[in-house]
Amino acid sequence: MQSNWLIEIMKRAQTGPFMKENEFDLLLAKRIKALVKQYGIQYDPNNLVPADDGLADRVFQAALDLFVDVGVYCQTTERCIRFSRDEVLALVAQARSEIVLGTGKDAVVMRHRGVEDPQRAVMHSGPTGTPCTERYHPLILLSCAQEPLVDCLGAGSVSTYFGAKILPGSPLEILGSRRDAGVAREAVRMAGRPGMHINDVAVSLTCAGKMAALDPAAGLRPSDGFLVSQMVELKTDFDQLSRVAALYNYGGVIVDLMTPLIGGVGGAAPGTAVVSVADHLLGVVLYDADYHMFSLTHLHYVNNTDPLGIWVQAVVGQALARNTPIVALNDIYVVSGPGTKELLYECAVGAIVGTVCGFNMQGAGTTGGFRADHTTGLEARFIAEVSRASLSLSRADAAGWAQALLPRYQETLTNPNRGKPFPEVYDVETVQPKEEWLAMYHAVKDELAGLGLKFGNP
Amino acid sequence: MTQAETDLEAYRNILQQAIEDGAPAAGVQMAQEALSAGLSPLAFFRGVIEPVLTDIGERFSRLEIFLPELMRAGMVVKAIQAQVLEPAIRAAGGQNFSEGTVVIGTAQGDIHDIGKNMVALMLQVNGFRVVDLGTNINPKAFIEAARRENADIIAMSSLLTPSMPYIRDTVQLAEGLGLRGRFLLIAGGAPVTRAWAESIGLDGFGEDAVEAVEVCRRLMANRRAAPTHPSL
Repeated sequence: MQSNWLIEIMKRAQTGPFMKENEFDLLLAKRIKALVKQYGIQYDPNNLVPADDGLADRVFQAALDLFVDVGVYCQTTERCIRFSRDEVLALVAQARSEIVLGTGKDAVVMRHRGVEDPQRAVMHSGPTGTPCTERYHPLILLSCAQEPLVDCLGAGSVSTYFGAKILPGSPLEILGSRRDAGVAREAVRMAGRPGMHINDVAVSLTCAGKMAALDPAAGLRPSDGFLVSQMVELKTDFDQLSRVAALYNYGGVIVDLMTPLIGGVGGAAPGTAVVSVADHLLGVVLYDADYHMFSLTHLHYVNNTDPLGIWVQAVVGQALARNTPIVALNDIYVVSGPGTKELLYECAVGAIVGTVCGFNMQGAGTTGGFRADHTTGLEARFIAEVSRASLSLSRADAAGWAQALLPRYQETLTNPNRGKPFPEVYDVETVQPKEEWLAMYHAVKDELAGLGLKFGNP
Repeated sequence: MTQAETDLEAYRNILQQAIEDGAPAAGVQMAQEALSAGLSPLAFFRGVIEPVLTDIGERFSRLEIFLPELMRAGMVVKAIQAQVLEPAIRAAGGQNFSEGTVVIGTAQGDIHDIGKNMVALMLQVNGFRVVDLGTNINPKAFIEAARRENADIIAMSSLLTPSMPYIRDTVQLAEGLGLRGRFLLIAGGAPVTRAWAESIGLDGFGEDAVEAVEVCRRLMANRRAAPTHPSL
């Protein structure tokens, strides 16, 4: 992105057509419905990973139409920021297809992945999406950073500072943000991987809080990144755009975070897929993102491993892989918690489908974010292993795996098994999984191997 | 089926079609005809709007329908409320809202308004003065509006679980500002449970629009009997 593009975005944010937010939502819903019909996009519950290039391309074209027609809603100015088709296509064509994350021997190159791509997915982990307590946050981060197959770490979120609740925009947000950045930096150092990319400090909800974490000595470096969020769907504000501005000058990695809702403004799975791809276009055009974190979220369950979610991930991944050069990252979000087989089955589905359909990996966001400290490094290890084992799979294979694994957890979506918190499944002295959790991991891994998944791919 | 029941069913069918078509004008016309035919605003609400919205809410909870359908329902019902029911209530002398003032909104992070609209309308037809703040309302905005409107009750709605912490934050902000004695705080919505409401210190919880009215009436009766909030 040229530096004056942000000036142009600001200009449009202040001169675009006025619209009330609910009017924008209604317009968006109406347009999505029409585009789904126009492009003949249909959900098939019997094939959750369609091997249909035409479908993927139609989803992309519908998303492009949507983005050009509706634009982006700026909540600060209550105006629509709009772009021409040529502008969007030019910016998509210029988008990065790879990015170096981290420094030194710990650096990894995260690339655009294709459909059924044999190159391995880069693995992000950390308690992103699962809140932590001050007591166990450092250990949880270490449990993730020390996993050999984990490439990048998210610092996650702690809601207190020495026991006091952190209010956004308050001094405690600044202190909490600096503390969590420091804790993450220390975690990667203790794991013997001081150059590992840290992808965010999630405690801070304001730009000021995010900026407080930037500290080459004890916090986030230019080789690390911040999430610049979209508000559902296709919305931004000046606070988010300010993060882009700050990261430009700091040289930090811009991570486009979107959380499209399954069953939200997009409606059913086809519309959700269309708006999800349009969300990625927002990340390219407005945020000039280095990579894009796709955190699809079910409206009721707060996960993305239900049948609709699996289908949307499969189609969105393929649409992006085939029609853009961008670096996409799929955030596996599950309802189950550590110490349960259901968590591992949910993670396996997300890893297989995401890997085959062109995503890099992030996970796992556990318990739908409802239970503090219910997250560990072991499920990250499992996701990375399953992802690598999936590199030789076709879309048809992935569809078969989804159908095979869904019955193992689907009934728990409405009544989830939230599992156990970190100290009950990990030894807090050695920071290693306890026997029960490790045995469960081995049992599920053996089960998947028995079903034909070939672990041990390089 | 009596003639009155047949009429109500016909009205419900028209409302359902208006919602499906996203056609507020059709809903408004039907409501005008219903009230002209002798239905009171309360009877219209209970016999037409509430059952239709309840059905939509239940289908949404099973994900048989999705958010756009809810948004269209909110749009149509809001038009009926503003163009037909509120003028009728005012014409009948209902402008003397004697039950109390309720500031209502959907909590931050959530843009759903069907449940909130139902509660707002139900409160209104039951004699409360209702100030509807809309959706995605942050804790500070709730408190500021309650101060500005000299409200008795702050009613918060949530359909998305991630918005629930902002309900808790509103309670804590009211406490922090020393305003718990001034405003009563209640909440409702699909993910909100009675136990959770009690755990965060809310004054009341409504399972549905009917219970929300009962809770508000009870809280107001308690307030009139003992003006000082029990927590103070």
